[in-house]
Amino acid sequence: MDAKNGAERRSYRLTRRKFLAASSAAAAIAACGPAATPNPSGAATVEPTASPGPALKIGQLLPFTKVYAELGNSMKRATDLYLKQKGNKLANRPVTVVYEDEANDPVVGAQKTQKFIDSDRVDLMMGIVATPIAYAVRNAIDAAKLVFIETNAGGNALTRTTTNCTPSCKSKYIFRSSFSSYQISYPIGEYFATQKGVKEVFTFVADYGFGNESAADFTSGFTKGGGKITGSLKAPLGSADFLPYVTQLKAQNTKDIYSFFSGTDAINYIKAWTQLGMTAAGYKMNGAGFLTEQDVLKEVKEQANGATTSLFWAVTLDNAENKAFVDLYQKEYSLLPDVFALQAWDGMQAVDLALQAVKGDTTNKDAFIAALENVKFKSPRGDFEFDKETHNPIQDMYIREVKVQSGQAVNTIVGKVARVTDPGK
Amino acid sequence: MTPETAVVQALNGISFGALLFILAAGLSLIFGMMDVVNLAHGAFYMLGAYITLTVVQRTGQFWLALLLAPPLIGALGLVMEPLLLRRLRGRHLDQVLLTIGVSLVIADLVGLTWGREIRSVPFPAGLDHAISILGGDYPVYRLFVIAFGVVLAVILAIVHRRTRVGALIRAGVQDAPMLAALGVDIDRLFAVTFAIGAALAGLAGVIAAPVFGIYPGMDVDYLIYSLVVVVVGGLGTLSGAVAGSALIGPIDTFGKVLFPQFALALIFAVMALVLLLRPTGLLGRIRIAR
Repeated sequence: MDAKNGAERRSYRLTRRKFLAASSAAAAIAACGPAATPNPSGAATVEPTASPGPALKIGQLLPFTKVYAELGNSMKRATDLYLKQKGNKLANRPVTVVYEDEANDPVVGAQKTQKFIDSDRVDLMMGIVATPIAYAVRNAIDAAKLVFIETNAGGNALTRTTTNCTPSCKSKYIFRSSFSSYQISYPIGEYFATQKGVKEVFTFVADYGFGNESAADFTSGFTKGGGKITGSLKAPLGSADFLPYVTQLKAQNTKDIYSFFSGTDAINYIKAWTQLGMTAAGYKMNGAGFLTEQDVLKEVKEQANGATTSLFWAVTLDNAENKAFVDLYQKEYSLLPDVFALQAWDGMQAVDLALQAVKGDTTNKDAFIAALENVKFKSPRGDFEFDKETHNPIQDMYIREVKVQSGQAVNTIVGKVARVTDPGK
Repeated sequence: MTPETAVVQALNGISFGALLFILAAGLSLIFGMMDVVNLAHGAFYMLGAYITLTVVQRTGQFWLALLLAPPLIGALGLVMEPLLLRRLRGRHLDQVLLTIGVSLVIADLVGLTWGREIRSVPFPAGLDHAISILGGDYPVYRLFVIAFGVVLAVILAIVHRRTRVGALIRAGVQDAPMLAALGVDIDRLFAVTFAIGAALAGLAGVIAAPVFGIYPGMDVDYLIYSLVVVVVGGLGTLSGAVAGSALIGPIDTFGKVLFPQFALALIFAVMALVLLLRPTGLLGRIRIAR
């Protein structure tokens, strides 16, 4: 037994040595796939220029496998595109991006974050799609004093003061370029009660952290504005069959339904909604913006007609920055950017501007953090800045309605709640 | 719950059960014959849904997909059995591991071919409207799924009981070595059985495609459902698959409505209960260890 193990270990060493020799030779020629770069020497190299500063290393932790793979791909596209148009340099520092796959798993996410800290020694970290992963790595990032820009996960606690830091809490080192679930749920609740004149709403959300947060924030906004919640229903994440739920929605009398679903759930929900003729029966679909984002809308098309949702961006948003962003993205990839690409793009933009403010010096953490706190720019979503208190963005929330225009279902802007910021507790 | 809602929910449950039957029948057939829990069953199902997506995108013909996908996936099964499973015959656990490997390969190839975005297929023309039942609208496609499931069950029962292939399958399930000794080409029989099982999974994928989203990971989600159905109903028998899906479909539906907090756990609780009371499943045979 022991002898066998010894032999195996020897042969393992041999192959590893062989592998190292081969890979160091190959590294010069091969352009390795980003997710498959296990050591720093394998990372993509940057063209030499006249007098570049020291290389800036960014660790991007994104899902490239499992259910959120397409979100990760989208965010990677935006990151690569931003760097490409900047000649791969930010504040005169050539940039290396180390991509790692979080695989939608908090344990994997924590391991990869530790790798960024210990072995890659990245200058800053970005990414993370799912809230549980962001919560899981929060303490490690805080302890390592690593600047981290969250580019998707919207869990409220990540940028808030909470009792005993449960389930998470804000950190000096953590910024967020996306949103908090409060921001996409509370304003639309208030807007419904005060502007749209809706009296009663029934909530139907995905039964997990984010869906429940969204329902709670909508409820508090709506009731504060004088509205009444008549009841609620929850579906487990990834429910196969939505017909039973929609049948229940139809069996009650409140016509306005507020929902939080995304991805496959949103598609299944909207299809079940159409099958039961809900719109014809006078019911109105409303929700957080992800219910009718591009990934869903391009599949359900006119079935989502009339759905009202809130989000801080829409591909159709009419401003110069958005047109430029959408055009550039479309030219590079022949597809429309989605909200995830936008979040990654704005994250890169914030980093770029902060780096310029400190002349590329990331060694003084406090100065770099102060620079990020003071970043202000015109994003494709409108004016963007971080709330100095929470490090969550201050941004406009758009109320959007799905309309069919020349045969295409699109989110059209019907209202706006200006400068929404997270309350921070 | 009003009586009208209860009736509609019952229809929802039966139509979900009918879909589960189409999915589970193949799994049960393969297990009954070959003693292999084919964990690639979900991957075959997924492949059926994605082939439907392509056929509908190219031609707009859902019915063409229904004709095309099951034979294609059946052919895959016909190749896979002699190429892979046959080499491990008699080593049941190794065969199960092998099917896990195949499912991972198929799932990743599907991701490479079709991308990892979520997709959806529209309802076929003619079945995309709703009809009035008890004063409420009910989608015709769901009624079609129920009818399809029932017809398929009847056809499978007739094949099973009245045809030569059915007789061979029944004999093979009883005692494959004896059947071989009697001069039946058991290799061919196993390959054909595996192909039929795979084709049934593909068929379920086609039927389910318009109802549920098509996405990476759907293979595992529905594999679990089909495993629950065959374990509850009894592994290896057609009537077991019928009983399991007739029970699990409505329980899942009414569970979602009546105990929403408990919705995901309910079918597993039922499975645990059935296993405690009847370890072989509701209509399972007592197997003689071979």
